[in-house]
Amino acid sequence: MTNKLLIVDDEAEICEFLKSFFEDRDFKVATAHDGAAALDQVERFKPEVVLLDIQMPGMDGLQTLKKMKETHPHVKVIMVTAVETQEKIEEAMRLGADNYITKPLSLEYLEKDVQDKIDLLAKGL
Amino acid sequence: MDLLTARKFDYQEVLRDVARSMVRLKRPDRLLKLITRFIDRQFGLSHTSLLVLDPKKGCYVFMNSKGAKRLPAGLVKFDTDHPIVQWFSGVHKKLPFQKDFLFLADVKKMLSRAEFRMASNSKADQLIGIQKAMQNLNVELLVPGYFKDTLVGLLMLGRRLNGRFFTTQEVTFFQTLAHDCSMAVKTAEHNQNLIEQNRELERRLQEIERMRGKEQRTYYEIMRSLAEEVHAKEPYIFGHVSEVERLGMMTAREMGMDMSGNAKDILSAALILHDVGKIGIPDNILCKPGRLTQDEWQIMQTHVEKGARILEPLTDFKRVREIIMAHHERFDGTGYPRGLKGEEISIEARIICVVDSFHAIVSSRCYREGRPLDLAIYEIRNCSGTQFDPVVVDAFLRALKKELRKMGEVPSALNEHLAS
Repeated sequence: MTNKLLIVDDEAEICEFLKSFFEDRDFKVATAHDGAAALDQVERFKPEVVLLDIQMPGMDGLQTLKKMKETHPHVKVIMVTAVETQEKIEEAMRLGADNYITKPLSLEYLEKDVQDKIDLLAKGL
Repeated sequence: MDLLTARKFDYQEVLRDVARSMVRLKRPDRLLKLITRFIDRQFGLSHTSLLVLDPKKGCYVFMNSKGAKRLPAGLVKFDTDHPIVQWFSGVHKKLPFQKDFLFLADVKKMLSRAEFRMASNSKADQLIGIQKAMQNLNVELLVPGYFKDTLVGLLMLGRRLNGRFFTTQEVTFFQTLAHDCSMAVKTAEHNQNLIEQNRELERRLQEIERMRGKEQRTYYEIMRSLAEEVHAKEPYIFGHVSEVERLGMMTAREMGMDMSGNAKDILSAALILHDVGKIGIPDNILCKPGRLTQDEWQIMQTHVEKGARILEPLTDFKRVREIIMAHHERFDGTGYPRGLKGEEISIEARIICVVDSFHAIVSSRCYREGRPLDLAIYEIRNCSGTQFDPVVVDAFLRALKKELRKMGEVPSALNEHLAS
């Protein structure tokens, strides 16, 4: 079964790069550039894992996370943030984020983290 | 035809341009961007990336990138324990050929050598890591840039779109470029550090200046209460210090004196502190009811120098000391301590001389009762041109009249004087 990943970032360039990176690793990848589109994609695309940028115009990552976890509690969400603001990270973890990663990010670490989440799901966790 | 041999001199020129730009550019971002674009265009590669050390974050960040697998600037990093960074960071210093550049083909070759795999598992793991990272990013060739012994940046190049291999000459060109980029990055970093250090120094200087100002203020306040204390000893009418200050400021304004900058503060401080040296005069002289002997009078006169000395720590008010030194000089040159004459005496000292004398006449002293205003005005007028500067006397009497008019009655002596 192909794993499905949703990448949410307001910067199209970042979405495209990560999309191609994970497609090379046999993921099925969808992208969204804002919170509303992300919630829509979770509904239709049904990803296992979501990479969610914290800083986005309009509905930000934290609000998106909250709504996403309300409707789809089993989806694994990894928050991506440019600046490591402790309060935001704590807030994200409190809202049910499964992990966070700061930019600039290590691709090796990111790949491993996404894989870990998939493994957790496979074990029914 | 090979690109480098065909346009050999162009490349030398490019290197010269880079070297020139390095000196010119304060921020290397633009230069790095130019280089990435230049390589991408001239060589037609599947991928070109520049990885630069960020000393604050302690990792290597992809700054510029071109080609199909282009990395968004600032998104991806290599930590210092990344196998590629490890390969070029010191561990392999003994093997210079490895330090200079690394082809993916060579990594594969090394991995295929049985003895390599047997000899060191950790090295094989490292090579596997390098191979994986290079393949992930479509990179065929890695060229490091150093500054001293620090790995500052990495040039990551994909394969040629036309299928050709890189020539030795081209690799040398990339090495020079990588070296130049490292220099540019380090120079800019150094400049930035200097700028930041400068800012910090400036901030500290301001802080010191602020503290110094506060200290001066405190010292001034102490001096002020000391001056009040001196006059409390002499049974003057109440508030001599503030009276003299008020009269002096009025006179200065009447004369149209320039009060800009700290001129006003200096005059005010001098008026308040002019007799502070009397704190060093023995009470039996200071408060003697009756005439002073010749010796006592000489001691009394030293209050001028004593005052100037007490105020030495008030470095903001250097002029105040000079004024106080001169406040017993006379316009005709017969005063003390230096016998200065006319304009040699500062205008502030000439003002103090008039208002202090006037105030002394109308106030009660240890040795006599205060005398009427009329008499004081006559005396001041009589001494105009000898003890006092006539210009100051005129301004003083005009100011006094205005002040008395506010209170009610103007003494006839004052009217006479002003009419004449």
